[in-house]
Amino acid sequence: MSRLFRLYEKKRGGRRTGSKTVGSFGEALFFGIFFVVGCGTMAYMLVALAWPEWRANRQFEETTCVLVGKRVGSKETAEGEPVQFRPEFALKYEAAGRAREADGVYDVTNLYSSDEAGVKSVIEQFEVGKKYPCWYDPLDPQRVVLVRGYSLWLYVSLLIPLSFIVIGGGRMIYELAHWNASEERRSVLDSAAAVDWFEAEAGERHFPNVPDGSNQTNSPGTKLAYRLPISATFGWTLFAAMAACILWNALVAGFVVMVVRDIALGEPDWVMALTLLPFAAGGVWLIVYFSRQILVATGVGPTRLEISDHPLVPGMPYEVFLSQAGRLNMRSLEVWLACDERATYHQGTDTRTEIRRVYEYRCFVREDFEIPQGLPFESRCQVQVPEGAMHSFLAIYNEVSWKLIVRGHVKGRPKFEREFQIVVHPALAGQLVS
Amino acid sequence: MMDPRLSLMLDEPQRTFRPGELLAGQFFLEGVRPEEIRAVEVSVLWHTEGKGDEDMAVHFFERIDPDLDDVVDLRQPRRLSTVLPNSPLSYHGQIVKIRWCVRVRAFFWHGKELAAEVPFQLGAVPRPQEAPV
Repeated sequence: MSRLFRLYEKKRGGRRTGSKTVGSFGEALFFGIFFVVGCGTMAYMLVALAWPEWRANRQFEETTCVLVGKRVGSKETAEGEPVQFRPEFALKYEAAGRAREADGVYDVTNLYSSDEAGVKSVIEQFEVGKKYPCWYDPLDPQRVVLVRGYSLWLYVSLLIPLSFIVIGGGRMIYELAHWNASEERRSVLDSAAAVDWFEAEAGERHFPNVPDGSNQTNSPGTKLAYRLPISATFGWTLFAAMAACILWNALVAGFVVMVVRDIALGEPDWVMALTLLPFAAGGVWLIVYFSRQILVATGVGPTRLEISDHPLVPGMPYEVFLSQAGRLNMRSLEVWLACDERATYHQGTDTRTEIRRVYEYRCFVREDFEIPQGLPFESRCQVQVPEGAMHSFLAIYNEVSWKLIVRGHVKGRPKFEREFQIVVHPALAGQLVS
Repeated sequence: MMDPRLSLMLDEPQRTFRPGELLAGQFFLEGVRPEEIRAVEVSVLWHTEGKGDEDMAVHFFERIDPDLDDVVDLRQPRRLSTVLPNSPLSYHGQIVKIRWCVRVRAFFWHGKELAAEVPFQLGAVPRPQEAPV
């Protein structure tokens, strides 16, 4: 039996176990239920609420009624739930040629609400014994309403079943269209469906699965062709360090206050105080780490890299211009060319990413020098991606990325590192340097 | 009657291609009657192996459906050919590997499926450790 159906799936090395048919059926069933619930709710709201409301507004005939009674109607609910209310009026009116009486009348939906005060304010707007316009159903003159109009909440809440229909129906159609399809056919169908509205030439990409590199070429340089954008990772590191520092220390501070208060009251809790020590030490370490990051961010001036051409091609030499600002006493300043492989994988419910550096080459180094205030250090060097090296590659779970890294060591300060992403294209015939 | 067998061969025995080069080959089925075949799919594709979850993309795809197409006798060798793209090149990295292959699947009316795959190399990227570090 287990050979016929595998109800769950495991990744075993490069292959997966499990039945695709059972998986597709389960997914189709799940989204089918979504779709049916959406359709049922939508049908109920249209038939029971929207359609009567539309008829009351468009088809009911107007007449005059005399209000003979009014009250706050209430509905018994299950134990523990709040009581529901609605305005209820007793009317005398004339319809279809004869006098009629109706009780429990207000609007066509007859819905209850938990807002008792709102219901009471509606009741107070009408006086017993007075005449009011009312509207009756020509198909059933006994059906009469005292107010008409469209309920905005009703049409807004139609979006809820509509979203169930769209999500459930869309995915169910997708599953049925892909039923028993091979993974190649699924891939082709998915590619055909994935229209990239922002990239008109996506279908004619010269280098599929290679980043287009437009982010690297949209800023012209002052010395060379392009100024490379700095990777955003540094900013995120700073933000993460700040968030961790604040949250951790706020939590620890709360406990410290409790311990200090107990000591002040003469009832010290030494076990808690000792337990708190490693956490407080962690907080101090976070403060130091965050301070170092701040020091790097504010103490080291901006780093600028410009490149003579982009994207790069393996085997071709490129000129790089380096500019480092700030009043710094440098122990060393280096430019590295590096290549990383990045693999993202699922382990249970976790998504993990592993990065492996597979190539690193120092293109430039300068040691023991000073950068005066207002006069940035500037230098040029040459970079060359090795001939035959792998190009930049980007897919959903796997990536090969190239970057230029500026590493600096300022005397008396923590080392700093700034990354600049570059794109390497595959070398085509005629582009290789012999 | 012999068991059904699917044969797939590339014209280039070295199975190494440059970007933009023409990949050509042929395939045929043996030990099967034409009316038993529901469909045959021919794909030229790449997929990843290694640490990460699998990425895959199909460069060339053809589905031969005997019900819809003219009478097709897949016991006779049938040609396939496509011009290969510029990327991604075959790659044998440390945690990311990119493999190219030609894959043919035959689907039968009784539900079974037969597949044949021939891997090939696109480009000549050396392993990363061969690069100077």
